[in-house]
Amino acid sequence: MRTKFALIIAAVGLAASAIPAVAHHAFAAEFDASRPLKLTGTVTKWELVNPHSWIHLDVKNADGSVTAWMIEGGSPNSLLRLGFTKNSLPEGSQITVDGYQAKDGANRAVGKALTFTKDGKSLFMGGSAPGADGGGQEK
Amino acid sequence: MRSWFKKLGGNRLGFGSLLKVSMVSLAAALALFIGYQPASGQGPSVKAPVNTYKAPRTKDGKPNLNGIWQAMNTANWDLEAHAAGQSMDPKDGAMFAIPPGLSVVVGGSIPYLPAALEKKKQNFANRLKLDPENKCYMGGIPRAHYMGHPFQIIQGGKDMMFVYQYAGAVRTINMGKPIEAPADSWMGQSNGHWEGETLVIDVTSQVEDSWFDRAGDFHSDKLHVVERYTPRSADTLWYEARIEDPKTFSQPWTIRMPLYRHVEENAQILEFKCVEFAEELLYGHLRKPAGAPSVPAQTKGGPGAAKGKGK
Amino acid sequence: MNKQVLHSFLNLGVALAVAAAPAFAQSKYKAPRTPDGVPDIEGVYSNSSNVPLERANNLGAKEFYTPAELTAQAKAAAVPREKAATQVGTVADIHYDVSQFGLGKTVTDAMVNTRTSLIVGPTGKVPPMIAAATKRQQAARALTAGHEMDGPENRGIAERCFYWGGEGPPMMPQGYNSNLQIAQGPGYVAIQQEMIHDVRIIPTDNRAHLDPSIRQWFGNSVGHWEGETLVVDTTNFNDQPALGRGASRDLHVVERFTRTGPETVLYQFTVSDPQTWETSWSGEYPMGKIKGQVYEYACQEGNYGMANILSGARADEKKAAQK
Repeated sequence: MRTKFALIIAAVGLAASAIPAVAHHAFAAEFDASRPLKLTGTVTKWELVNPHSWIHLDVKNADGSVTAWMIEGGSPNSLLRLGFTKNSLPEGSQITVDGYQAKDGANRAVGKALTFTKDGKSLFMGGSAPGADGGGQEK
Repeated sequence: MRSWFKKLGGNRLGFGSLLKVSMVSLAAALALFIGYQPASGQGPSVKAPVNTYKAPRTKDGKPNLNGIWQAMNTANWDLEAHAAGQSMDPKDGAMFAIPPGLSVVVGGSIPYLPAALEKKKQNFANRLKLDPENKCYMGGIPRAHYMGHPFQIIQGGKDMMFVYQYAGAVRTINMGKPIEAPADSWMGQSNGHWEGETLVIDVTSQVEDSWFDRAGDFHSDKLHVVERYTPRSADTLWYEARIEDPKTFSQPWTIRMPLYRHVEENAQILEFKCVEFAEELLYGHLRKPAGAPSVPAQTKGGPGAAKGKGK
Repeated sequence: MNKQVLHSFLNLGVALAVAAAPAFAQSKYKAPRTPDGVPDIEGVYSNSSNVPLERANNLGAKEFYTPAELTAQAKAAAVPREKAATQVGTVADIHYDVSQFGLGKTVTDAMVNTRTSLIVGPTGKVPPMIAAATKRQQAARALTAGHEMDGPENRGIAERCFYWGGEGPPMMPQGYNSNLQIAQGPGYVAIQQEMIHDVRIIPTDNRAHLDPSIRQWFGNSVGHWEGETLVVDTTNFNDQPALGRGASRDLHVVERFTRTGPETVLYQFTVSDPQTWETSWSGEYPMGKIKGQVYEYACQEGNYGMANILSGARADEKKAAQK
């Protein structure tokens, strides 16, 4: 029981001004607000790297060709601590990404919302934690 | 008041479930330990030591490996035997020419599969651009030990910490029940145990991107390294790493080299945060062209200010 | 033990008695010893905290919250908040979902801390900067002003993966992954912080600092034991100490690590820098042991962002030139 007691949450100073810095860089420098996009495709690789994780995604185009996309996400360390592993998002998973494309027009995007295509559920359960910061602000 | 004791996040997977999974694959890892016989006396290079030395003990009775250690060889240029060579840019003159060295591979050469040998050759041809060392990436295991920088072993009564000067790399050696890493990392997951005088570390879950040397020697995501650290005198250790990767090599192979203690007064690990030394190589082509107007910073108070804290 | 420390212990004692928590407040705790006979401070800790470094203006000289105030705040924080809606197509809308990645601060563990600011004392603020320091800071900013996107050198230190900011010394709670591991060997303490795998190896023989010609991002730390407490003295910073806030290369930090219970360490620090502040200032917070290990945060190795940012800026320039 001891460890359960060791750490207890102190919700001090949760005013708006205290929203922590939770991103490594300014998103707007990397991605283009005028290029919102929605992609549905097949996961080919999940790079659990820092400072940001990246999901590699094969997206089928109307003409049958396939475009490889890279989707930026958050630091994976918290996910690992929450019990996720490199096998939690297997190759072949069908996912839908709501996000913004890179400014230089490359096939990279920031994934604002990541859901499983079949049921619309969030890829990661971090978001379902009650009391989780929902603001999603980088500053 | 119960709410005090709850993590506000709630609804999370516990570490318990993770541990259950790892125990299964650990059985496999342990089998490897037991079945593993150190290669000895194969071929001309790096003769296996006949070791009768008994190291001083820590207060809790283990061989004492504490210290600042460094390899004294040219393995980072090429694990295999190599003659002296021209610097990568001839304009650099003799200062950066490649020093000659004997092979540290037991048996002399690395048993590549044919396709992998081709890739190694391509790696070598493009090493300035591709070698992770040139980009200031952490060395991985075993390379972190022979990069021309010292490393320090912090050995207390429990887990050990190995701290490497190159790129400020670090790894914790778990000396308790072996752990399976949830994801790959540059320095991998290290699970250690003692076999008499020898510290044996099983290293798994390394990313596939690290190399073994500047000659383009590489591995896949199937890399499994078993390291052995054996004291051979007060100020030297035998270091051995058995490398197994069925996707890249036809059979496991072993490197072996002595490590030397820094005995000078006040020896210490200094900072070698090399990112800034690699920025021109990595991003030079993305600099603003001379004469072009500067675009404004995108976000107010953002990470634009170079002297500020870029969060 | 100075008066302020005692004060904080007393206050925590009150808070934790209310919360029926273990004896974090035992100021006379005697830590188990390492095989070498010094206090054992080894372990994996979280130093996450929601307590700001500086006290909010409206709190005046109020240094501690009462248990009732803390309880009310915890209750308020436990209520799921509406997601702040952002407009599609706006700069503010460009981000991944922080909570989806478990990065929201309320999903991390933090020790109870009744302090209204990490900085101790009646003001709870970093003292005002001296004029020369303000000038120095402005001059440094002017060097890159208007050229923030030109090349990697002009980007932020964290974005370049040099350090994250909270590594210190003094160590500050990080925005996320605010974890660290302490290992001890004979004559050494090593502190590995999760963010950007930054490690300090602290010899505990109180040896002399490095030659002043050697300047480092995290300075040069030497330490010694004072009874139950590890005291660490750091100098030899370069011109951009991780503390930020205009601190100069003359920054001098003294840290104190004291076990206060089986699972807790009290971390205290005093900062002085005559090139920046007229007076020194001090802070403290508790750290608590967590389960599991510190995970590698390899930043440079995965920093696609830097290339994307610079190529984005070049794309913007091209667009601007076509107009």
